[in-house]
Amino acid sequence: MRTEPIHKISRKGLTVWRLYGVLQTIFLLIVAILVCYGTYYYEWPSYIYFIAVAVVTLSAILSAYLFPKVRWERWRYEVRDNEIEVQHGLFVVKRTLIPMVRVQHVDTTQGPILKKYGLGNISISTAATVHTIPALVMDEADGLRARISELARVAEDDV
Amino acid sequence: MSKEINRLHPISAIITSAKALKSMIFPLIIIIATNGFHFSLNFHSDNFWRMIFLFGIWGVGAILTLVSGIVKWRTFVYWFEDGELRVKYGLFVKKKRYIPFERIQSLNYNEGIFHRLFGLVKVQVETAGSKDRKPEVELTAIHKVAADAIELEMRRAKSQVNEQMNDEQSLIEEVSAPTIYHMSIRDLLILAITSGGIGVVLSGVAAIISQLSDIIPYEEIFHELADFAKFGAFLVALAVIFSLIVAWFVSFVITLINYYEYTVRIEDEKLIITKGLIEKKRITLPLNRIQAIRIVENPVRQLFGFATVVVESAGGNGGEGNDKKITLFPLIQKQDCLETLEQLFPDINWTSEFIYSPKRARTSFYRIDFVWLIPIIGACSYFFYPYGLFSLLLIPLTIVIGIWQYKSAGYMIDGKQLTMQYRVFSRITFIMEKKRIQSIETTQTYFQKRKNVMTVKATVMSGMTGMTGNIRSLEQRDAETILSWYEH
Repeated sequence: MRTEPIHKISRKGLTVWRLYGVLQTIFLLIVAILVCYGTYYYEWPSYIYFIAVAVVTLSAILSAYLFPKVRWERWRYEVRDNEIEVQHGLFVVKRTLIPMVRVQHVDTTQGPILKKYGLGNISISTAATVHTIPALVMDEADGLRARISELARVAEDDV
Repeated sequence: MSKEINRLHPISAIITSAKALKSMIFPLIIIIATNGFHFSLNFHSDNFWRMIFLFGIWGVGAILTLVSGIVKWRTFVYWFEDGELRVKYGLFVKKKRYIPFERIQSLNYNEGIFHRLFGLVKVQVETAGSKDRKPEVELTAIHKVAADAIELEMRRAKSQVNEQMNDEQSLIEEVSAPTIYHMSIRDLLILAITSGGIGVVLSGVAAIISQLSDIIPYEEIFHELADFAKFGAFLVALAVIFSLIVAWFVSFVITLINYYEYTVRIEDEKLIITKGLIEKKRITLPLNRIQAIRIVENPVRQLFGFATVVVESAGGNGGEGNDKKITLFPLIQKQDCLETLEQLFPDINWTSEFIYSPKRARTSFYRIDFVWLIPIIGACSYFFYPYGLFSLLLIPLTIVIGIWQYKSAGYMIDGKQLTMQYRVFSRITFIMEKKRIQSIETTQTYFQKRKNVMTVKATVMSGMTGMTGNIRSLEQRDAETILSWYEH
């Protein structure tokens, strides 16, 4: 049994994901209110109320509470001298191994919400694939980017 | 080093214009169709001025494209200087492009009908950086002699770089490039008969029909069809079968024409593929750009012991449409294929001693499909009772395919090489070297975790993106073996 990668992503990442879930729920809530209003006004079938309530409740439970939690628990990464290993997934656990030699460039990106919490995403590109480690503390992300690019430069090229 | 200026053949003006005009036909059709074929050159007609206006715009556009074709031909020059291929064209904006010969990855030749009438050839010059599926330089039409001159010049430049290698020797070598594969007429026929192009043709026909729906009075046809149906389902079925046969025949002919005289030769570390009946193509592929090799056996061809060999190549353009996968052997006996490949790539182990997916994983190949299958079957059976019940046949079908997939899933590690074998419908044997693999991923669903199995995916570079091999449900220990093999 292979050991899991060591590092987890920042606790604040979980907060941000919850925030995304809450925003999504609020958006769905607005849609649901409009639909319910329409149902009341135009006398559409009444089961529409139940669907609307169910969708909003499910979204609140799943995307604001359960999914971020599971995803955060599962997210692991590790940057070693010769390779990067990440593990993530919701229902399906994915583990990816990227050798340093294959890394072509590293990006960090930061949206407005991430910025407020001082977080950033880091994307590692190979010739064929892109792998993203989300919601790292910005200092850590910058440090990681510098480290990866340094290690990747040391490793010899083959493609 | 010759510094004489070379021009394109005058035919290239016609070819360029014809190509541009082809794209102008569609707007013309739209103009005509939107006006509902109500042409009248009657001066008093309401439509008259509008028609003149629309056709005028189109006419100006057409003339401009014609002129631009001629201008491009008149201004286009190329010459060799300082070990570079230099190209200059443009009337108002002059464009120059210099390509050092040692950067040129391949010269691809293409002969259309026009070219063949005059003994010409279209040359596409490609470098590693050719983006957007476009070759770096395209010489629309030059004489074959001129094309040979470019090749000669390129060799000369390259051999000078390689510490003044013996010039004459490398130049003589070109004559005797050994043929490694030539498709016989029999194989060509089998390829054409079993070609999967039917689907493509069918969807093409469907697309055209839907395009024409404004013009053809479908409703009348449907009325007739309704009468037609009264003659019995038999006739309808006959019509369907007939159209399928026509579609199949079209794809048969297209395949015959495209793959006629398909030959692969090898010449100083490059594969040269030539093919085509009406339009002759020549594709060059440097061996060192090959990232991985796939042997694809579709069920029908597997039955007769045939396989297709596809190579994944990095960057550039294969001249094969969107993907960068290049068919190396369109159809070959499995045994011959392994022998030939062994000659081509002696470092690779071509045996197949796979470690297969464990027995307990078998159910996981089809059980997951029931998640979407059962609702579909339920819906079909409910809404289309009683015929919908036939959808129940999907269950044994899924199980059979699942078991088939299970039997194919396996891997082999030998030194620096990973071979994956798996099946979607066709069985795929994916051979890649460790240094070409961009990343490896394992995935495990909840159900796989209970069975202690894992899916393994390996990605190699192919064109501008990647190509992923995917073995489902290997023993977890085996999956981890692959990961740690990849680590070191």
